[in-house]
Amino acid sequence: MIEADVAIVGGGPGGYVCGIRAAQLGLKTVVIEADRLGGECVNYGCIPSKSLITIAKLVDKVKEAEKYGVQSSGVHVDFAQMQKWKSEVIGKLVSGIEFLLRSNHATVIYGEAEVVSKDRISVTTTNGREEVTFRNLVIASGTRSSSLPGLEFDGGLVIGSKEGLDLTAAPRRLLIVGGGAIGLEFASMFQKLGSTITVVEIMDQLLPGTDPEVVRLVHRKLEGRGAKIYLKSKVAKLTKKGSEAEVEVETPEGMVTIVANKVLVSVGRKPRTERMNLKVLGVQTDQRGYIVTNEKMQTNVQGVYAIGDVRGPPLLEHKAAKEGIVAAECIAGLPSAADWKVIPDAVFCDPEVASVGMTEAKAAEAGYKVKRSRFQFAALGRALSTGDPEGFVKIVSNEEDGQVLGVQIVGPEASNLISEAALAIEMGATVEDIAMTIHPHPTLPEAIMEAAESASGRPIHQLKT
Amino acid sequence: MEFKLPDLGEGITEGEVIKWLTKEGDQVKEDQPIVEVMTDKVNVQIPSPRSGRVTKIFVKEGDVAKVGQTIMVIDEGGSGTPPQALVFPAPRPPVAATPAPVQSAPPAQGVLATPATRKLARELGVDIAAVSGSGPGGRIVDDDVKRSAARSGTSTVTVQAAPAASPTGGPREDVVPLRGLRRTISDRMVKSLRTTAQVTHVDEADVTELVLLREALKGSAEKRGVHLTYLPFIIKALVPALKEFPYVNSSLDEQGGSIILKKYYNIGVATDTEQGLVVPVVKDVDRKDIFELAGEIEKLSSKARGGQLSLDDVHGSTFTITNVGAIGGLFATPIINIPEVAILGLHKIAKRPVVREDKIEIRDTTYLSLSFDHRVFDGAYAARFTSRVVETIQDTKKLLAEVL
Repeated sequence: MIEADVAIVGGGPGGYVCGIRAAQLGLKTVVIEADRLGGECVNYGCIPSKSLITIAKLVDKVKEAEKYGVQSSGVHVDFAQMQKWKSEVIGKLVSGIEFLLRSNHATVIYGEAEVVSKDRISVTTTNGREEVTFRNLVIASGTRSSSLPGLEFDGGLVIGSKEGLDLTAAPRRLLIVGGGAIGLEFASMFQKLGSTITVVEIMDQLLPGTDPEVVRLVHRKLEGRGAKIYLKSKVAKLTKKGSEAEVEVETPEGMVTIVANKVLVSVGRKPRTERMNLKVLGVQTDQRGYIVTNEKMQTNVQGVYAIGDVRGPPLLEHKAAKEGIVAAECIAGLPSAADWKVIPDAVFCDPEVASVGMTEAKAAEAGYKVKRSRFQFAALGRALSTGDPEGFVKIVSNEEDGQVLGVQIVGPEASNLISEAALAIEMGATVEDIAMTIHPHPTLPEAIMEAAESASGRPIHQLKT
Repeated sequence: MEFKLPDLGEGITEGEVIKWLTKEGDQVKEDQPIVEVMTDKVNVQIPSPRSGRVTKIFVKEGDVAKVGQTIMVIDEGGSGTPPQALVFPAPRPPVAATPAPVQSAPPAQGVLATPATRKLARELGVDIAAVSGSGPGGRIVDDDVKRSAARSGTSTVTVQAAPAASPTGGPREDVVPLRGLRRTISDRMVKSLRTTAQVTHVDEADVTELVLLREALKGSAEKRGVHLTYLPFIIKALVPALKEFPYVNSSLDEQGGSIILKKYYNIGVATDTEQGLVVPVVKDVDRKDIFELAGEIEKLSSKARGGQLSLDDVHGSTFTITNVGAIGGLFATPIINIPEVAILGLHKIAKRPVVREDKIEIRDTTYLSLSFDHRVFDGAYAARFTSRVVETIQDTKKLLAEVL
């Protein structure tokens, strides 16, 4: 029997960060992980996918190396080695997390957790059962891929993102159902690794919710490299024929039949709570099963908190981690709360897409007098000199006082560029503030400064519109 | 038009809105008093700059506004310019139904404050959505949050105090908000004690002759229409001492690393009023006779009691006297009226046995308490200064030369 001030179910980005912070604050902390520390992100999501995307980009660069005067021939991708390297990256992170938890004197138990009473969890470990009594419980059990009726995962032909990252070869013809962030990352990656891509998306654009101007570039690039994209379309029927799937897709132009070697379904995720027996606690959930909390991560049951994906969208590592800190601090009696204004997001498709704050449409909807300003990477020295000049930075600001409301970036290193924009919004910065801040030359962030200068009415490297 | 808090006088950068004399929707006339503002010295009523309709009031009663900050909008009609109201985005829809037992956060997207300031607000238990910002574009800065916390300190007590009912059912505590003058005094006293090194030196004076002198001059004072108290005599007795001991009539410029010796003698007279202590200033006491001083003191104290002191009346003192003689007591340890460096407490005049030339006599005596800032001068200097004052008070010949 272990007595804990805080028991955290789930050692993913939310849970392990919560565990470290709680332990730092002097709370007796137990983190219960059913699989591997680091959770979905480190093991089956962000990290492995970015590892593979890096390799896919490298392959792509090598293939066009001649353009830069570099002769290369016979480029061959060794999938086994690629997967090995990916696993090494994951391994380093997982052991790092375990080291941090232990060094902060948090206890880690591996096993499935089940709530047995209002203050007790039973954990099924490989060595039998372990009982944990808790003063506070943090549910950080995350989400899992959800399938569609008729497109159930079979581990072979029809797969989810987790299996997609473990493939030992690029499928010749890959059908991706769901043109959201995960779907597009796979599409760009496997396209570079040699797959012929088809994307089926039910909405009228890829990356629904993202600025259409931004998405257009990604859409065009995928198509330009031979992908077929069906919008406002859905899979009507899937027939397995040996190692192939024959998929009938309902499109606005009528039925289309697609033959694929793999069908990757990325249509969303659902909360992972079913094995925890949460009904014992009476924790309130919404219709989709996500746990409802307030800004202190408290559920309707005293002493029970929920953080990360299990609280619902946006399903993002960085949001989960911050929520983990908030929960730990609230449990320790500190006046913490989730009061961030914005949560940036990044999609590692090609070109990369990153956004923070309001889109032009959202800002107009909220009643702002919207000022939009853009700067094309094609006019930026650094972007040209990296051979990656596609895309632009777009700043949405309030015309009345210049406050930055949102920033969308599509192009090289968009994911690495967005943080400055997030800081600007959190600080209440104006476009003038960004324009007046010297950005080093030659770097990609200059594009943000240039877009801000344009918003202030003094563009230098583009013509005044 | 946007109405900004006007310049209220030298060195005054902000004021607390005590009371709005108008409300949103009201018609106001030019020069009609619209708001009462408490500066760190005095209350002022600010008149409307224009005639028109009040469309928006930005600063709540009890909030502090900076000079130059927009406090209200007056629609003058005709031109039809819409009020420059702060536009906030629509509140973010709640992520989902918020659970019943817990309160939900204010729409954070609308609060113009940095993450660190928002955190400070949580730490101090301040609802940041209710704080008015003094930064550019209405940004809420740390100071705004701290001020708001200082003010709501008592309202937190309300929450705790309310349920504490006495056995008989009534509340066992009354909660009075710390507002206006009370808060100003509170802030200034703490600041004085926190920023100076105060020591109190007490001496006694035989005022038997002074009592007689005042009696003798009372008649001529009345002819001039003034009531003669002891205070003008003491003020006059101070002048030669202040001249001889210039550091007592000085202030310390910490940033500049210098002591400013003042060659003018403006004496603050601490005055008890219903609202609390105020300190009107009698200016250039060295150039006035006791009848002029008596007249001025009378006028200032009646203005003080009527709450009619102007900013000029309370500005520029170089040394302060606090007189509790009429109430009683032996002596006290007054708190320095910063940025001055000394304050003199006057106390009850009473007949006491005094040893004079080895004989016990009944004499009129009193105690003088001088609190001084030890950073600026030392105990010996203070003792010598006080003893010089005592000397002048006791020696009516000397005093007479001063007072007339």
